[in-house]
Amino acid sequence: MFETRSRLSRVVMQIVVTIAVIPFTIPIYTMIARSLEGRGWGNYKAVISVPGFARFFLNSAIVAGGAIILIYITTMMASFGFSKLRIRRKEVFFWMMMAALTLPEVVLLAPLYATAVKLHMMGTFWSVILPIAALQVPFTTLLTRSYVDGIPDQLFEAARIDGASTWRMFWAILVPLAKPMAVALVVLVLINAWNSYLLPKIFLTAGDMGVVTLLPEYFKRQYNDDTPKVLASAVVTAIPEVIAYIALQKQFERGMAAGALK
Amino acid sequence: MTVTAETRSSRSNPRRGWRGLFRAHTTPGGLRWILPGFVLSVGLIYYCIGYSGYLSLFKWGGGKQKMTWVGLDNFRQAFDNPVFWASLRHTLFFFVVVYVVQVVGGVLFASVMHSQLYFKTLYKIIIFIPVVIAPAIMAPAHIQVWSTKGTVNQILSNLGLESLTRGWIGQASTSLLVVTLVQCWGAVGFGFILYYAAIGQIDPEVMEAARIDGAGNLRALISIVLPEVRPTTVSLGILNFITALKLFDNPWLLTQGGPAHSSEFLGTMIYSQMVQQKRNLGYACALSMVLLVVAVVTSVIIQLRGRERDPQTRKRTRRKAEEVAI
Repeated sequence: MFETRSRLSRVVMQIVVTIAVIPFTIPIYTMIARSLEGRGWGNYKAVISVPGFARFFLNSAIVAGGAIILIYITTMMASFGFSKLRIRRKEVFFWMMMAALTLPEVVLLAPLYATAVKLHMMGTFWSVILPIAALQVPFTTLLTRSYVDGIPDQLFEAARIDGASTWRMFWAILVPLAKPMAVALVVLVLINAWNSYLLPKIFLTAGDMGVVTLLPEYFKRQYNDDTPKVLASAVVTAIPEVIAYIALQKQFERGMAAGALK
Repeated sequence: MTVTAETRSSRSNPRRGWRGLFRAHTTPGGLRWILPGFVLSVGLIYYCIGYSGYLSLFKWGGGKQKMTWVGLDNFRQAFDNPVFWASLRHTLFFFVVVYVVQVVGGVLFASVMHSQLYFKTLYKIIIFIPVVIAPAIMAPAHIQVWSTKGTVNQILSNLGLESLTRGWIGQASTSLLVVTLVQCWGAVGFGFILYYAAIGQIDPEVMEAARIDGAGNLRALISIVLPEVRPTTVSLGILNFITALKLFDNPWLLTQGGPAHSSEFLGTMIYSQMVQQKRNLGYACALSMVLLVVAVVTSVIIQLRGRERDPQTRKRTRRKAEEVAI
């Protein structure tokens, strides 16, 4: 984009960019540096050996996995229906769903809380997975429907003439052809579910139900504000995310970019 | 597709072509295919909105406590509360600052990364990591950065600006600024990724023509790049507005909305109403309804205006969806 003809201008640009990037590293640097204060790596050992530490990761995996499965199945089915099947007043249904697109999750908080208490669903994974899924399905459906619209109708007609059932068309044509979209979808839901904080904070209050985003608070209580240990726990929690991102850079960037279509 | 099929076959049957007939009779019904997703999202969300509207007319401590009918008192209480208006002002301030920083930072970084430069991947990873890590996990680190003996104050005193050092989070005059800047920290990477993709779509010939006509870097940025990435800027605007309205994570984790409500947002107000000892769920619901109305009205306005200007929104969405998935 920017043209740099002379060597000097190239060096200047390199230096300017490097300086501009520094603010982004400051919190990360502080986090790592201060987590080593006091007992050095001993902080990390202490954090990892806390009983039930792995449980937080398992719980996050359950929440994210549950949300992904639920969203994937309902989104694929709905996009197939909206794009390729005959439905009376199809667009009315579609727009009813799209009306929920920009809904802030805090709006659901009070009624969800009241309902969960009534139905004795407090402290179950469902009380977190269902709202997360419900809030994301409209968006993933919009995205996937647009993608499925691009798959030629003739493919499905040919399958029908050959005697394929609707199920067969779904499994043998739509699911494989929509796979690239599905990857972006899974990454998007994974990040959102793994990073969700508000819903677990309210609904997963039982001791062994915490998810990773609740870890810093848990350690604050455990160690009575022993900052290095709290930061060590934050580093340990962030590492899997950073590794996942560096290993799957393209997928992550596309998955996040998909979020901007709203 | 349907249109071409029907015009081609209209010769044999003016009312409905052979293919149209074929499709009407054999395209299977799809209602049960959309039903699971429809019930899950529309069912749950509309139920919650309805229930929220109902609860907002009561005073209720939750659980087995008695619900007292209070009519519109909860709404009156909200509108009479100066903290409510302050939180709306904070939301607006937050939205404007984060949006501007995200657009400017995103466009500049994206343009630079499309130029000749070493270590591009490294820069990209550094900028994007804040997007990936949950705010809840980074919060303890941010608190250390902005604390009295924190990194920011150290940097300031090393630069000889000791007069500027202060307890950034603990002061009512700077707490909102800290929350906003921390959000910017994560927002620039997100803007960058979107603009990076958008700038990659610009026809190189347009750029070349501008260069031949003697356009400099700044000129090319303002006259070519910015207009070409306008759709991205618009969707970032909508996204940021919704983010600002529903904001909870960062302010709660950094300041709990304080000190003295100086960094209060609607999200933190609703939450603290729900968890405090003498809670009134009806009041939390009334605040939620106000938030909902603001969010819906704004996004409808933005979308209607967007549609007037650009009748091909739908097509563009599809094209973008394909790009994302390639």
